[in-house]
Amino acid sequence: MRVLMLGWEFPPHISGGLGTACEGLTTGLARHGVDVTFVVPELFGGEKSDHVHLVDSHGRITDERGTLHISDETEEADDGLQFPAKGRVRTKRVPAMLMPYLTPETFDDYVSKLKALAGELSTRGASLRAELDSVGIESGALSPTSARNPSVHYSWDMFGEVSRYAARISELFSGYSFDVIHCHDWMTFPAGVTLKKMTGRPLVLHVHSAEFDRSGAHVNDQIFGVERWGLENADVIIAVSYYTRRILNEQYGIPLEKIAVVHNGVYSDTVRERYRSDRRWPSRIVLFLGRITFQKGPDYFVEAAAKVVPIVPDVLFVMAGTGDMRQRMIDRVHELGLQDNFYFPGFLRGQEVEEMFSLADVYVMPSVSEPFGISALEAIKFETPVIISRQSGVSEVLSHALKVDFWDIERLADLMINALLHPELREDMISMARNEVRRLHWEASAIKTVEVYRRVC
Amino acid sequence: MPSVCFYFQVHQPFRIKRYSFFQVNHDHIYFDDEKNGTVLKKVAEKCYLPTNATMLELVKRHQGAFRIAYSITGTAIEQMKLYSPETLRSFEKLAETGAVEFVNETYYHSLAAVYHADEFREQVAKHRELVKELFGQTPRVFRNTELIYSDEVGQLVSELGFDAVIAEGADDVLGWRTPNFVYSVPRQLTSGREVKLLLKNYRLSDDIAFRFSNRGWPEWPLTAEKFAGWVHEVSGGGDVVNLFMDYETFGEHQWADTGIFEFLKHLPEMILRKPDWNFATPSQVIDRYPSRAELPFHRLTSWADVERDLTAWRGNRMQNSALNLVYEIGQRLKDKFGDAVDPLVLDTWRKLLTSDHFYYMCTKWFADGDVHAYFSPYESPYEAFINFMNVIRDFRERWLPEWKLEVPEVAG
Repeated sequence: MRVLMLGWEFPPHISGGLGTACEGLTTGLARHGVDVTFVVPELFGGEKSDHVHLVDSHGRITDERGTLHISDETEEADDGLQFPAKGRVRTKRVPAMLMPYLTPETFDDYVSKLKALAGELSTRGASLRAELDSVGIESGALSPTSARNPSVHYSWDMFGEVSRYAARISELFSGYSFDVIHCHDWMTFPAGVTLKKMTGRPLVLHVHSAEFDRSGAHVNDQIFGVERWGLENADVIIAVSYYTRRILNEQYGIPLEKIAVVHNGVYSDTVRERYRSDRRWPSRIVLFLGRITFQKGPDYFVEAAAKVVPIVPDVLFVMAGTGDMRQRMIDRVHELGLQDNFYFPGFLRGQEVEEMFSLADVYVMPSVSEPFGISALEAIKFETPVIISRQSGVSEVLSHALKVDFWDIERLADLMINALLHPELREDMISMARNEVRRLHWEASAIKTVEVYRRVC
Repeated sequence: MPSVCFYFQVHQPFRIKRYSFFQVNHDHIYFDDEKNGTVLKKVAEKCYLPTNATMLELVKRHQGAFRIAYSITGTAIEQMKLYSPETLRSFEKLAETGAVEFVNETYYHSLAAVYHADEFREQVAKHRELVKELFGQTPRVFRNTELIYSDEVGQLVSELGFDAVIAEGADDVLGWRTPNFVYSVPRQLTSGREVKLLLKNYRLSDDIAFRFSNRGWPEWPLTAEKFAGWVHEVSGGGDVVNLFMDYETFGEHQWADTGIFEFLKHLPEMILRKPDWNFATPSQVIDRYPSRAELPFHRLTSWADVERDLTAWRGNRMQNSALNLVYEIGQRLKDKFGDAVDPLVLDTWRKLLTSDHFYYMCTKWFADGDVHAYFSPYESPYEAFINFMNVIRDFRERWLPEWKLEVPEVAG
């Protein structure tokens, strides 16, 4: 079976759980003989691709060592592309200015960063200017348009990018041979639907996160609309949890029988000892790690922390990540006088994440609405017990966790205090969770995914 | 003349209410009266009242040929008084027939035999008084919480003057022997006195208690006639078939619609159909049959799980930590106040010793994502632990404020 899979990111260049999930799922699928071509907007080099054909929207591929090349199939069609010997490709294509989970606000933020970069005198700045100019966008005009002008919402914007990506992908892959199209989250949905219409191949849409989760009551109607349109056009939908399945049914009106549930998995290798053995921090650590956005419930974490500190003064709350609520959280921590008990290290990647999980005494995921919450499994992988919100998909598969309704700050504090005061609780939880997580492997997810393919192929 | 010896355990714990860390030092009421009342009334309606009525009818119909024994914990009796006095009256009526024996145990259904010998003796004495007061009997036979037993427990029980102990017929302890004879505690543990051992025939007991309604079991459906046939097979190879089980088997673990009550109603006549068979209470058994051998128990056994050990109550770190702490609290309380200790305070502490609180913290069945079939008021063993630790923190800080627990070391 050949699957054309459209995603947004691939490790190690990730902004959240989506890239990790895609890597895990494709690894599992490869072990079951499924041939996956995975397309992302942008390859950076260094992506692990020994199990999968990685392609980006410029037609570039990576080899087993993660070096970037132009793929054979697309080289002929795209003779204008050229690449230097070491694989650092220059193309004349539009840089895909897309990251998963962009909101109009963060997109604007992203664009203005890009604008700043384009204004730099550095080589990177110069090359970006050249790229933009080549597609007729004056770098000087690069500005967050029109959030103030409702009639032209995001003209040079996310939605433009999404449709450009859809056009580019269909151009690259409509002549390509595959049995099924599998798309991850809304930004790939237009590309998926377009490809389906051009090729007649069945379309599987995989929902890792819905606008409803990300924005709660303040959903962006345009994103919501793209999601619903995509879901309606899909042959079958994969939700990462029953929690998400229910949301797709209740909020998007998708019939339940069209939605299969495939829980995420985790790799169960452990490297905790390495980090634990030379632990630098004397105090106990409670960790929040994720985007600091409404969806992840950072405010509940801070308010609960304020109740913990008077009882367990020797504690450090680490809030790792970036997001539109970060500054507000820093301000709130100061307001509460908790600055000595808080640390905001920013966005962590790769080894830093592993180290942080390993050092933490307890990981807290207080999400307001979490389709899955793979980070809870990651924490357990590093032998850190977890407190998770009941409003999460992962709470469906994890028994050996403390669970709390995200709004119940006092209960969250109660659980944090007890987890900090009682090493025996942490040890029992982790020794049981370790075994539990072993069963939550990607192979199981892959088997279920193959079953879904068979429903439509 | 072999006998069937029926013995039933009746127990209800005082369950703890949801108790947050932030209630410590503010709220000194620990028990969930509402839940406890609801559970007791429900069990009374489904099990105690209908089963007692059946037993009374059977005793009368067989004119004393049908005999049974109970032990009812102090915590269960207290809750019957509070929430279902008619249940207690029905037990008293059974006592008045003369065909029902009441066995002694720890008043609070605790693990004190393993943790605190003095406390154990006090709880046994308290239960003994209760049995005397309510049922007019002075028990000669002892059963420990969950049939927990070892040589050490045998020695403790012997010192209290009992004539016999009820224990599990664990395979590894029995070896080639059958549970269908009477044995005795090794005499070097009893200063030469004979203390008999009545061992549960777990195969036949569990056929009723666990397998009765299991449609996947090849013997399903189990009729009284079939079961009596298995019992009768013991003829010539044993003196007594000890059928020991939770009383909640009738109507609660096995619901009425499984036919468990019809089974019970017919069983006595089926057993008595062979004229050499009879029913006997534990005291009658030990008076009637000699000990065939001294039986050492080198390990702690119980009637729980396939392991027949104590891991259901102290198999993980949380359980051990909670048990050690709660017993230390009691010791310090006794050291501090001596005989002047407030009986209500002592009673509260003792209600926290009930084995169920630790059973709820058990993780061993909670593996593999199974939602454990056993009844627990908690969503997870971790919540059970947290709730319990919060409660005993309040108790400790209230009565032993001078005792500062060290904050545990940072995990390294």
